[in-house]
Amino acid sequence: MTAALSQHLQSGSFWYVFAFVCCAAGVLIPGLLVVTSRNILHSALWLLPCLASVAGLFLLLGAEMLAAIQILVYCGGIVVLVLFAVMLTHGLGHADIRVVNQQLLWGFIGAAGLAGIVLHLLSRQMWPVGSSLAPGDVTGRLAEALLSPYVLAFEVSSIVLLVAMVGAIVIARAEPE
Amino acid sequence: MTSAPLIPIHSYLVVSVLLFAIGLVGVFTRRNAIAVLLGIELMLNAANINFVAFWRYSGGAQMEGQVFTLVIITVAAAEAAIALAIILNVYRKFRTVNVDQINLMKG
Amino acid sequence: MLGGYTLFLIPGFPFIAFVLIAALLLRRGERVAPFVLIAALLGSLSLSVFALALTEGHKSFSAALTWLQVGSVTLEIGVLIDGLSCIMMIVVCTVSLLVQIYSIGYMKGETGYGRYFAYMSLFSGAMLGLVIADNIAQTYIFWELVGICSYLLIGFWYRRPSAAAAAKKAFVVTRFGDLGFLTAILILSFQHHGLLGPHSVFGFRQLEHLVSTGAIATGAATVIALLLFSGAVGKSAQFPLHIWLPDAMEGPTPVSALIHAATMVAAGVYLVARTYFIFAAAPTALFVVAIIGVTTLFLAATMGVAENDIKRVLAYSTISQLGYMMLALGVGGYAAGVFHLTTHAFFKALLFLTAGSVIHAVHTNDMWQMGGLIRRMPITALTCLVGALALAGIFPLSGFWSKDAVLAAIWSSHLPGHQVMFVFALIGVTLTAFYMFRLWFVTFTGRPRSEAAEHAHESPLVMTAPLLLLALLAVVAGALEFRVPLTAGGIAGVLRPGAEPETTSALVIAASFLLAMAGIGVAWAAYRAEHISPASFNERFPAIYRLLKNAWYLNRAWELFATRVVIAGARLAAWFDRHIVNGMVDGVAWLAGWTANRLRTAQTGQMQFYALVFICALIAGLIVVFGREQTLLGLVMRGP
Repeated sequence: MTAALSQHLQSGSFWYVFAFVCCAAGVLIPGLLVVTSRNILHSALWLLPCLASVAGLFLLLGAEMLAAIQILVYCGGIVVLVLFAVMLTHGLGHADIRVVNQQLLWGFIGAAGLAGIVLHLLSRQMWPVGSSLAPGDVTGRLAEALLSPYVLAFEVSSIVLLVAMVGAIVIARAEPE
Repeated sequence: MTSAPLIPIHSYLVVSVLLFAIGLVGVFTRRNAIAVLLGIELMLNAANINFVAFWRYSGGAQMEGQVFTLVIITVAAAEAAIALAIILNVYRKFRTVNVDQINLMKG
Repeated sequence: MLGGYTLFLIPGFPFIAFVLIAALLLRRGERVAPFVLIAALLGSLSLSVFALALTEGHKSFSAALTWLQVGSVTLEIGVLIDGLSCIMMIVVCTVSLLVQIYSIGYMKGETGYGRYFAYMSLFSGAMLGLVIADNIAQTYIFWELVGICSYLLIGFWYRRPSAAAAAKKAFVVTRFGDLGFLTAILILSFQHHGLLGPHSVFGFRQLEHLVSTGAIATGAATVIALLLFSGAVGKSAQFPLHIWLPDAMEGPTPVSALIHAATMVAAGVYLVARTYFIFAAAPTALFVVAIIGVTTLFLAATMGVAENDIKRVLAYSTISQLGYMMLALGVGGYAAGVFHLTTHAFFKALLFLTAGSVIHAVHTNDMWQMGGLIRRMPITALTCLVGALALAGIFPLSGFWSKDAVLAAIWSSHLPGHQVMFVFALIGVTLTAFYMFRLWFVTFTGRPRSEAAEHAHESPLVMTAPLLLLALLAVVAGALEFRVPLTAGGIAGVLRPGAEPETTSALVIAASFLLAMAGIGVAWAAYRAEHISPASFNERFPAIYRLLKNAWYLNRAWELFATRVVIAGARLAAWFDRHIVNGMVDGVAWLAGWTANRLRTAQTGQMQFYALVFICALIAGLIVVFGREQTLLGLVMRGP
């Protein structure tokens, strides 16, 4: 990868790689902070740069529509929702309350183990070189896909959203006194 | 971005795996239920990165990768809404959002 | 071969009578009941005589029907006609017939009159089925059936607690012996059934063939023979299972006459005779038979001396005479034993029926309440005298011939210790004569000792006629030694075709005759002429008196065994059942509970714990699948 990096620096693709590294760092480091912050509010807030960097990665991969949707839905919707929940549940409290449970060690080992195995499997594989993006309007193709072959998925997911919305209202309703 | 990709897919997959593992750590180790939810969101995003990467590196003509990602985002939103509603309900009942204190199913 | 199956009617007639009487009882036809049975018995008697004629003294044949087939074992129901079974059948039919006639008078006016004859017919059918059986399983079935009938008839007056207790005692004690009998059958069927192919292993002729070819080792034959003998010990009231017979006198006297003198108790002797070929192959078993026989003979004779109840004296006498029969069989005197069985059936039945006649008149069993009855009941007294003389073995009555045959067999046998047995047998002869005539003198001679004895009168004809007929048989049955009617030879030849009758010596004849006379003499001196005083004898030898009075404390010994040993064993078994058997079951339950408790620690109720377990399982799965090769990944990556 270093050899490719230096080659691309000379060929002018430096910025692409740089952008990738920034986005990757923006995903992983805030992500780490999300799960390790003592303060739940901070955890929720660190989610923002993380998700935004994911949108960045989508852009680098050529999925502009998805990037936009990612920002709108995740950053704009879900993070706000989480912030509301944090406020309503008074998760903030005494600083000396434990943030992590008893499974710290084994949880870490399990996750690390899984990551290790999958990384090992990935590295064993010879990945083929990617080709250039097919010509044409990507977003248009996405729209066509959503409305022709995958129209059912599209409609059902809209119903899922509707149901979730109603459900959330019902569940979260305060009990009549 | 429309030309041949300048980095191998391997990089994107590594990011995805690492993000997934980070999310997993969050799910396993945090006491606050909302923190567990955040970990789940991270895992979902890791999956999304995976999907879009494969979409791009398989030519970008077949849109299944993006469609599926869209569906995942949709479902994640719905799930977050419901989960947070439940957490609110649990908070009202048990006066706590710490998962390890909600163990009525013990035994 | 329809003729063969006709003989199934020999036990069949009384069974049919049983069903008819049971049906009659329901319709209040009690009075006819005895006549139904008598008719049936006449039919059976005729067929038995016919069967005897068929054998012509030396032939034998059988007919059987398959009854049940279980795996490789076949149970048959059949008849075996040979000298032994014919003689037994004729004895059973004759005695039963005469007893039923007598019972019409004896049981007159009793409640349960019909029930009595129903049981009697069932018994007669079962006894005939027993002696005519051609295989050992059928013998066992009828063996148990006569046991039931004995129980029912001993406890006929079931409201009397002593009668109920006696019936139970009889049944339980004989059951003890029957266990051995059943075990012998089981050994035969499981160990040796393969040897006889698909046919019944239990048939006597097949068994005889089996033994003669040496297919059963001596050791096994000894075990089987001893087990069979244990059944005989129970049924024939041999020591130590004799304790039930004196108590069985609680039943009506005709029952005692038929079942407990002439027929059922003879079944044990019959069994040994029937399976004699097994015993012949096991000399040890024969020796045991002889030892038990001589012990029983002696002990019972001594116990009879001290009894005051007429029926109990006769009961002990029966036990003692059965001992003679067993002793005869043990020393090899097969024909002598069966001959004595035959004559004993007649004169013992006679004695019991005369006792019944007396009891019926005086309303007590105690001989010391009687006396002087010879003038008031002459026929009874005379026939009783005939029976007593026959029992004592006085020439020329039947008892003389059969007892002499037994003594001759003992004298000339090759069994070790037979001389000692002979001495005891002679002592038994003296004691027999003594106690029998003690009974006769006290009951019939002298002055009446009670009001009832004063006013006693002779029994009606329906009771005295059988007495006279039996007395006749008691006199002439001795002739069987020389010539069995309808056949060409003496009883020895009929029983064992080709065998010669045992020779006897004048010494033996003289000895037994003299000793019998001596016994009678002492009885006369003590109880008639009162030269000797029994009371002073009892004072001078109190230990002997107590010993005999308490029947050698054998009842007490059995009681102790039952309460100490048996119950201790039962407690042990109960402990085992409670702690080990139950313990195992409870242990399984406890184990399940313990395991569940241990396992429930996995159910923490913590969602994150479950998620962790899930991921760990996933890791393990990945290792397993991809540890070998990356084929799956290669399959997945089929891209451009």
